[in-house]
Amino acid sequence: MLINLLASHAAPQLHAAIEGGLGAITLYHYLFVAMVMFALGVIGFLARRNLIIMFLSTELMFQGAGLALIAFSRYHFNHTGEVFVIFVLTVAAAEAALALALVVLLFRQRESLDAQEWSSLQG
Amino acid sequence: MTLLDAIPTLSTLASGGAEHFAYHVAEAGPKWMALVPGLPLLGAVICLAMLLFKRDMGGRSRVPAYLVTALLGISFVVTLIGFLQWNHGQPWVVHAFEWINVAWGSGAGQSLQANASFYMDGLSWLWMLFVTGLGAAICLYASEYMANDKGYARFFSAFALFVVSMSCLVMGDNLVMLYLGWEGVGLCSYLLIGYFYTKPSAVAAAKKAFIVNRIGDLGLALGLYLTFTTFGTVQYDELFAMVSAGVDGSGHSLAGTWQATWIPLLLMIGAFGKSAQFPLYVWLPDAMEGPTPVSALIHAATMVTAGVYLIARMYPLFLMDEALTALHVVAYVGTFTAFLAATIGMAQFDIKRIMAYSTLSQLGYMFAGLGVLTTNGAAYHVFTHAFFKATLFLACGAVMHGFAGQLDLRKLSGLWNMKGWRIVSVAMLVGCLNLSGIPVITAGFWSKDMIIAEAFTTPNQVIAGSSLIGWVLLITAGMTAYYTFRVFFRVFVGPVEFEPGDEAHGHGDDDDHGHGGDDHGHAGHDAHGHGDGHFHPHAPGWAINFVLAALAIGSTVAILPNFMGDHGWVGGLLHDSTAFYQSGFGHHEAPAGEHALANSKMEVVPVAAHSAPAHGAPSHDSAPDAHAAGEVHANSFLGMNAHAVMYYVSTLFGLAGLAFAAYLHGPVGAWSFGIGNRTKAAVSRADGWKRAIGPIGRWAEHKWYVDEFYDLILRTPLRVIAHIFHAFDKLIIDGALVDGAGLLPRLLGRTLRPMQSGVLHGYATGMAAGIGIIVLIVLVMTLS
Amino acid sequence: MMLWALILIPLLTAALIASGPRGAARGTAMLGSLISLFIAGLAAFQFDWGNSGAMQLGGSVPFLPSFGVEFSLGVDAVALALILLTALLQPLMVLGSFSAITSDEKTYYAWLMALMAPMVGVFAARDLLFFYVCFELTLVPMFILISLFGSTNRKKAAIKFFLYTFTGSILALAGLVYVAWKASAQTGAWSWDIATLQMVAQSMSLKEQSWVMLAMLAGFAVKIPLFPVHTWLPLAHTEAPTAGSVVLAGVLLKLGTYAVYRFVLPFVPAAVAEYAEAIALLSIVGIVYAGLICWVQRDVKKLVAYSSVSHLGFCVLGMVAINLIGAQGSLLYMINHGLSTGALFFCIGMMYERYHTRSMDELGGLAKKMPIWAFFMGFFTMASVGLPGLNGFVSEFMCLLGTFQSGAEGVGGVRGPLGFWFAAIAGTGMIVAAIYLLYMVGKVVFGPLKEPAGHGHHDDAHGHAHLPQDLTGREIGVLVPLAIGCVVLGVYPTPVLKAFEAPIQHTLAAYDGVNFEDFDGEDDDHGLALVALPAQGEAR
Repeated sequence: MLINLLASHAAPQLHAAIEGGLGAITLYHYLFVAMVMFALGVIGFLARRNLIIMFLSTELMFQGAGLALIAFSRYHFNHTGEVFVIFVLTVAAAEAALALALVVLLFRQRESLDAQEWSSLQG
Repeated sequence: MTLLDAIPTLSTLASGGAEHFAYHVAEAGPKWMALVPGLPLLGAVICLAMLLFKRDMGGRSRVPAYLVTALLGISFVVTLIGFLQWNHGQPWVVHAFEWINVAWGSGAGQSLQANASFYMDGLSWLWMLFVTGLGAAICLYASEYMANDKGYARFFSAFALFVVSMSCLVMGDNLVMLYLGWEGVGLCSYLLIGYFYTKPSAVAAAKKAFIVNRIGDLGLALGLYLTFTTFGTVQYDELFAMVSAGVDGSGHSLAGTWQATWIPLLLMIGAFGKSAQFPLYVWLPDAMEGPTPVSALIHAATMVTAGVYLIARMYPLFLMDEALTALHVVAYVGTFTAFLAATIGMAQFDIKRIMAYSTLSQLGYMFAGLGVLTTNGAAYHVFTHAFFKATLFLACGAVMHGFAGQLDLRKLSGLWNMKGWRIVSVAMLVGCLNLSGIPVITAGFWSKDMIIAEAFTTPNQVIAGSSLIGWVLLITAGMTAYYTFRVFFRVFVGPVEFEPGDEAHGHGDDDDHGHGGDDHGHAGHDAHGHGDGHFHPHAPGWAINFVLAALAIGSTVAILPNFMGDHGWVGGLLHDSTAFYQSGFGHHEAPAGEHALANSKMEVVPVAAHSAPAHGAPSHDSAPDAHAAGEVHANSFLGMNAHAVMYYVSTLFGLAGLAFAAYLHGPVGAWSFGIGNRTKAAVSRADGWKRAIGPIGRWAEHKWYVDEFYDLILRTPLRVIAHIFHAFDKLIIDGALVDGAGLLPRLLGRTLRPMQSGVLHGYATGMAAGIGIIVLIVLVMTLS
Repeated sequence: MMLWALILIPLLTAALIASGPRGAARGTAMLGSLISLFIAGLAAFQFDWGNSGAMQLGGSVPFLPSFGVEFSLGVDAVALALILLTALLQPLMVLGSFSAITSDEKTYYAWLMALMAPMVGVFAARDLLFFYVCFELTLVPMFILISLFGSTNRKKAAIKFFLYTFTGSILALAGLVYVAWKASAQTGAWSWDIATLQMVAQSMSLKEQSWVMLAMLAGFAVKIPLFPVHTWLPLAHTEAPTAGSVVLAGVLLKLGTYAVYRFVLPFVPAAVAEYAEAIALLSIVGIVYAGLICWVQRDVKKLVAYSSVSHLGFCVLGMVAINLIGAQGSLLYMINHGLSTGALFFCIGMMYERYHTRSMDELGGLAKKMPIWAFFMGFFTMASVGLPGLNGFVSEFMCLLGTFQSGAEGVGGVRGPLGFWFAAIAGTGMIVAAIYLLYMVGKVVFGPLKEPAGHGHHDDAHGHAHLPQDLTGREIGVLVPLAIGCVVLGVYPTPVLKAFEAPIQHTLAAYDGVNFEDFDGEDDDHGLALVALPAQGEAR
C-alpha cells in the first residue's frame, strides 16, 4: 500500500522516463530503486530466521540507503552524500567481518543458524 | 581582726525608710580574681591528665586529693584577699576574655556580649566565700573518705570542676556565664552522683538529676532569651542600670508589660530545677547515691542554693512586676516544698535520705524567704545552712564510712559512747541543734526566724497569704526538729548496738573495689562487707575529725554575722548587691531587737515599746511600693510585732518537735530528759504510733508516690509516644512513603517487562512497525 | 591555587593508591590527606580574615564558554571554615580506618580520598554548575564505600542513599537551572556565576521564588536531612563503615545546610520570608520527633544517626530565623556537629571493632574495661548534649536565641519570621537530647559490665587486627584533635564568630527590605511585597 502510494505519486515522472529513454532517468527512479532495496531488506530481515540471510538482508538495507544518499548527492551537486557513503561502506565492511565472525561463534554454540535459538536476553 | 574591720557598717545605708536596689556603676576589679575559678580548673585538668596517662597509680596516689585541696584552699585565700580589698558598694567587674561576642550594628541592643567576665558584689562575695571555703574543707574530708577508691583522681577532678563551674555561676558578669556555670554544676553533679558507675541505681539517679535539671534549664534559657530581647543585653551592670531606671532596652517603661511578668517566671523555673523545688525536686533525694562529700558540698551546701542565688541576683527583675506574680509562686512553692519534704523526711529510715529531705525543706524556707521579700533572710539562711548541713552530711558520711555503708537508723545506736566517735557525735549534735532551730545558740535559729518573721510581717496585700505561709513554716519548723532529733536519738545515743552495712561507702560495686577490699583486709583495716559477726567499725581519722570539728565550730560561729552591723553582716553584703531589698514593713525594727537579745541573752525588749508599726515610706521608683503607696502596713503576728515575738514562738515549735522526738525515739536516761524509753536499736515507741496512723505513714515512707506518679504521667507516655514515632518512622514514612515511591518505577518495569522477549525478530518487527508508523504519520501530515 | 590543590591532591592520591601496591595504600592515603590538611592550613593562613566576607583565594578556568560554565573557585570565611573541617577530618578518617579495614585496602582508601575532592569543590565553588557537579559527585565514592565496606544490610542502604539524595538533587538542579535560564533571558548570555544569578533570582516574583525554593529545598532538605525526608540517613549511617559515618555526619550533611545558606537564603528571600514558619516547623518536628525516636533505639549507631536529624533541625532553625545570631549559631552548628558527632561515630566504631556488636542489649558498663574510651565517649556525648564550655552549647544557644529574637519586638531592630514559641518548643529538644544521650551513656558506658556472649574467643575470627582492651595510641590520636576542637570552639569561639560576621551580613542583606510581620502585601513600599500580592493565590 505504501509502495503503491509512492509509486502513484511518482508515476508521471516514471512514465516520462520510460518514454524518453535512459537519458531521462530522474532522481525519483533512483529513489524508487533504493526504496525497493530497503523494503526487500526489511522483509528479508523480518521473514527469514537464518542468521546469515538476515545479515545479508541488513546489507541490502545498507545499500538501499547508500543508493539514496548518492542519488541525492548527485541531485544537489555536492559530494557530502558520496563521502558519507564511502564511510558507510567502510563501516559496513568492518561490520560484516565482525558479524560473520559472531555468526560463526553462535553457530558453534548451538549447531544451528536459527535466530530463534537465541532469546536469553528476555526480560 | 582584719576580717572584722572589713565587715561593713551600714553607714552607707540611707537611714530609715524602704529602700530598693540602687544601681552602682561597676569599677574594674583586679585581674587576679580570675584565679578563683582558674586554680581549681588547673587542678581538674591535672587530675584528669593523671587519670588519662595512668599516673594515678591505680587510684592509690594521694596527689589528686592534696593538690585539689591545696588549690581550693588558695582559691579561698584569693577570694578572701579580694573581699578585703573590695570597696563596698561598688561592684567589681573583672574581664578575662571574650567568649560569645557578636554585633550586627552599633545601636542599642545590637550586639550580644557574653564574655568570660566576673561581677563581684556583696552577693557574689558571700557565695564565693563559702563555696571556696567549704569546698576546700570538704575536699580535705574527702581525701580520707575516698581513700579506698580506685577512682580517686576521677573524683577530685570532677570535684574541682564543680568548684570551677560554681565560681562561673556565681561570679559571671552576665546571664550566659551564669548559664555556663549552671549547666557545669549540673554536669559535675551528674558525674559525681554517678561516681559509682557500676551501680545501676547510681547511674539512674545521675541521669534523673541531669534530666530534671534540664527541664529547669529550659526555663532559665527562655528567661535569658527574653531578658536579652527585652533589654538587649545579658550583662548585669547594663541590665540592672535599665531595671533600676524602670525601662527596657529601647527606653520604654517596663510597667505593666508582659515581659515584666514572664522574665521572672521563666527564670524561676530554672531556679526550681537547680534548687530542687516542687515539682522538680525528685532528683535530689536520689542524688544521695553519690559519695557523701558530694552530697555535703553539692547537694546541700552550694549547688542547690544556686536557685536562691539566681533569684537573689535577679531580684530587681522579680520586682519589675507590679503584681509580684513570680514572687508569689516562689513563696508558695517554697513553702509547700518545705512542708512536703518535712512530711517525707519524718517517715524515712535512711539517715542520709532524711538529710536530703531536710535539705529540700530548708531550701523551701529559702525560697519562701525570697518570696516574702526578705533576700536578707534567705541569703543568711543559705549561709548558715551551708555550714550546718555540711556538718550533718559529713557526720552521716563518717558513720557510713565506719559502718560499711550502714545508714538505717534502726540498725545503729549509741555512737556517742563508742570509742573514737565522740567528735562525730558532737558535730552531729551541733548540726541537729542548728537544723532544729534551737534558740540563741544556733545560727539556724536566727536565720530561720528571719524568714518566718518576715512572712508574718509582709502584708497580705503585697504577698497574698503571707500569714498562712508563716504558719506553715512554723509547723514545718516543729516537724524539722522532730525528724532531726529522731536521727540523733536513734543513732547517736542510747544502747551501743550496730549492724554493718553490706558494702563500702554505699556502693555495691564488686570488681572495682575487689582489689581495694583485699588490700585493706591485709593492711589490717576493718574488712568491709565481711558481715560475719567480727565487724569492727573503724572510727574516722584525723582529716574527717578535723573537718567535722571545724565545720561544727563554723556552724556556731555563723551566729556572729547576724549581730554585725545593723542588718547583720549578710544584710550588709546584700545591701551592696543587686539582691538588696528592704521592704520597710517594720524590718528595720528587728536589728534593735536582735541587739537587745544579743546583749541580754534571753531578755528581749518587749514588742510595743520599740516597734512603732512599720511605715514603709515607699521609695519613688519601685513597683511594689508604688503599689503599696504608703497605706500598706506591716502585718503582725496575732497582733504583735512578728520580728520580736517570733523568737519565742519558733522556740516553742522547735522544742515541741524536739520533745516529741525524745518521747518517741529517745533512749532511757538523761539524753531524752527522761521521757524516752528506747532500749534497743530497732524498736521504739514510734512503731506503735506508725501503726496507729495507718496508711499515711506508709505513703509518707514511699514519698507520697510522687516518683511513681511522674513515671505514670510523664515518662511512660513519653516512652509510648517515642515507640509510636519509631514505628511511624519505620512503617509510614520510610515504609509506605519512601519505599512506596521507590516501588513505582519497579511496578512500571514489571508491567513493561514482557515486551522484552529476547527474540530478535520481535525487536525487528517492533522497529519496523515503529518506522512504519512514523512514516505514516509524516505522510499523513504532509499530504493533508 | 590552593583551592585547586585541595581538589586535585586527593584525586591524585586516589590515583596513586589505585595504581600502587596494596601495602602502601594507607600510607599513601595518610600522606595525601596530611598534605591536604597542610595546604588547607596554608590557605587559612593566606586568607585575609579582615575581609572575611569577600570571596578570596579564587581563580577560574573556562570550561564550556558557550554556556558560560567555568571552573570557578573562591571562598569566604564560612566556606573556608567548612573546608578546614573537611581537611581536618580526612586524615583522622584515614587514621581511624587502619584496623577496621583489613581487606581490599586499595579500593577503600582510593575512594575515601576521592571523596574529599568533590566535598572541597562544593564549598569552594563559585560557579553553579561546578557546585552541582561536585554536589552529585560526592555520591559515587560514598555509594561505593557503603556498598563494599558496610555491614550486613549495606546494599540496600547504599542504594537508598544514592537514589534518595540523587532524586532530590535533580529537582534542585531544575530550580537552579531555572534561575540560570531566567538570567540568560535577561542578559542574553548564559552565566552560572553564583553572584550574578543571585541578583537575578532576588528580582523574581514571589511565585517564581516559591517554586525555585521548593525545588532547591527538595534537593537540599534530603541532604540535610530535614524531617519527613530523613529516613535514608539512619540506614546509611548504621550500615556505613566508621569513616563513612564520620564523613557523612561530619561533612556530607553539611553540604545540604551549606547549600541552603549559600543558595536558598540569598536567592529567594521573599519566598523564605513567606515560608520560614513552615520550614521552622519541620525543623522543630524533626528535633523532637527524631530525638524521641533516639530514645527507643537498641543500636548505638542508629541512635547517634537519628540524633543527627534532631541536631540539624537546630541548624536549619537558626538559619531561617534570618538574623545574625541565628545564622551564626547555625553555621557554627555545622562545624560543631561535624566535630562532636563525627567523634561519636569514631568512638562507636572503636567499640564495634572490639565487640562486633552495637546492640545496647548486649553491651554495658564498658567504662570498667575501657576507661579511656569511656572518657572520650562521655566527653563527646556532653559536647553533643550542648554542655556550656564545649562547642555544642555555643551554637545551640545561639540558634535558639536567634529563633527567639526573630519574632520578638525587642530592641536592636531585629525582626524575623519566628519567635517565642518556636524557641520554646525547639528548646524541649535540649531536654530530649539529654534524655536519649544519657540513656545511651547510661546503658553502654556505665552500669554493670556486660559483654556479648563469647566475647574474647573469636577476636580474630573476623579478620580484624587484634586490639587491646582499651584504646591504642593511634585511636587516641584520632580523638584528641576532635576533643581539642570541641573545647576550643566552646571556650573561645570569638575568632570564628567574628570571621563569620561579614559573610553573614552579606547574605542577610538580601532581607533588608523584607517585612516579616506583615507579609500580606498591603504595604507597597517595596518591590517584594508588590509582586507578592498577585502571586500568592497561585503559588499555593
